[in-house]
Amino acid sequence: MALDDTRLRDLLTQSHDLHSDAMETTRVALDEYVELAHDDPWADVDPATRRATLLRGLPKSGVLAAAGLGTAMVALLASPAFADKTMDVQMLQTAASIENLAVATYDTALTLDFIGGASANAVVKAFAEKTKAQHQQHAEAFNAAVTRLGGKAQDQPDPVLLGVVNNAKPSLTGPAQVVDLALELEDGAAQTYVANTGTYSNKNARTVAASIMGVEAQHVAILNAVKALLAGGAADLIALPPDASKLPAAAGSVGFPNAFYPTTDARPASEGAVQ
Amino acid sequence: MRRNRKQQIAISEAELVSMTNDLEDAHHETLPSMRESLAEWSDSNDDIRAGITRLVSTPSSRRAFLFGGGAVLGGVALAGSGLGGGLAAAVTRSGARSVSSATSAQKLTGDLAVVALAASLENLAVGTYQAAIDAVTQGKLTGVPDAVVTFAMTAQSQHKDHAAAWNGVLTGAGKKAVSGVDLTVKQSVDKAFAQVKDVPGLAMLALDLENGAAATYLAAISAVKSPAGIKTAATIHPVEMQHAAVLNFLLGQYPVPDSFAKTTGARTVKDKIG
Repeated sequence: MALDDTRLRDLLTQSHDLHSDAMETTRVALDEYVELAHDDPWADVDPATRRATLLRGLPKSGVLAAAGLGTAMVALLASPAFADKTMDVQMLQTAASIENLAVATYDTALTLDFIGGASANAVVKAFAEKTKAQHQQHAEAFNAAVTRLGGKAQDQPDPVLLGVVNNAKPSLTGPAQVVDLALELEDGAAQTYVANTGTYSNKNARTVAASIMGVEAQHVAILNAVKALLAGGAADLIALPPDASKLPAAAGSVGFPNAFYPTTDARPASEGAVQ
Repeated sequence: MRRNRKQQIAISEAELVSMTNDLEDAHHETLPSMRESLAEWSDSNDDIRAGITRLVSTPSSRRAFLFGGGAVLGGVALAGSGLGGGLAAAVTRSGARSVSSATSAQKLTGDLAVVALAASLENLAVGTYQAAIDAVTQGKLTGVPDAVVTFAMTAQSQHKDHAAAWNGVLTGAGKKAVSGVDLTVKQSVDKAFAQVKDVPGLAMLALDLENGAAATYLAAISAVKSPAGIKTAATIHPVEMQHAAVLNFLLGQYPVPDSFAKTTGARTVKDKIG
């Protein structure tokens, strides 16, 4: 196949170098996040959002009414238990759970000979390895945000999506099936983060999610292109650099079908929250 | 548009077209939620006007075409020695024309200034892709792979949708739509476009525009106050990132180079629009 292994390694090295720059940006966002959260977790939140989010995060209990809502709010805000129930923390924990599952799924995929073994397409293998590493970094970023807000880090996979992955495992008999599963996870992650970006009450939590959603969308774009080439029996065109002259016309657009990224398949905000 | 049809395609084109059509249908399903978001934004004009923008100007990416870079998309070349003034004509034809600064003429501030900036960047992208398409049509750029042509046409169409969305916010707020482009960026693009001699060069220019737009939207997500504005930027940023990924792939570069999107190269509301 048309693959220059040396060039691919160079590209991955360059990519790692660039990634370090990007990590610095995210660290800055997280540091700002910590300061804000310690000073006033609702500092830049408008009153309506603050009220609505607090109410969403509260347990359904008559105790609050008896104690007086204002007093209860103050008490809950000061407790670690409350931290795990705020909408921002739940969304961050859910995001971490999706990332945890993605890491585990790519890990499993790489044990398959046609993804990570001798018969694998080298570019697909490199993509799976690199993407797994990126998801690991995303999980760490989301969990860092969680813990700095006083919540518990989420080290478990999203329970609902885990079922999807477990159901799919027996059918992972070739690259196409693996790509389909990866697409479902990547698109679900991207849609969830896009939806949540508009919901976070804390600006820096929003920034962390926003800096990751586009990367998942890029994974989707490449997987869509790979899926199309595999479906057309043109696995040999999955190469870096590709022989662009042989790529079918549709390969130029199949990766990005939507002008606006959808959110219809976003996961529920609390689906992967720590229980 | 002239297309290179001499290559044997080792894949079922019909199958791919069918898949693309399915995805196109999916795209149309996303439009209602986008319109809903825009309507929500129009309903909160007071918040928008009161918003504070703090887009931070940052150095351009070291990968940026305008500051050098390589390409390995071989086998194609321009008939001439650069695309010269094709961009200005294409920008005019694509609907983005020279007018006085939209922001200053309308005295836009806060979130609406960011919206105008976004519209002007989208207009510039539309015009640049139009110039590329014209170069192929006029035979100035030859041997262009079909996939590259399809990419350019689809990306341009999506940038038109983005521009329309941003302008919908402006007109919904009682302001004029922005038909001009980001002149600050265009100065650099004009110089780079004049030097383009082959498809890789053009692709690098497009990559720089896409990365700049994505960075601007990421910065905007942190800067704008309006929740609907944040949602709008959030649905567009990933699409620009996808354009960049496919361009990287076509150029033979690793398609997802960063684990976290960056604001490096983000444009600011200080840019001149016209």
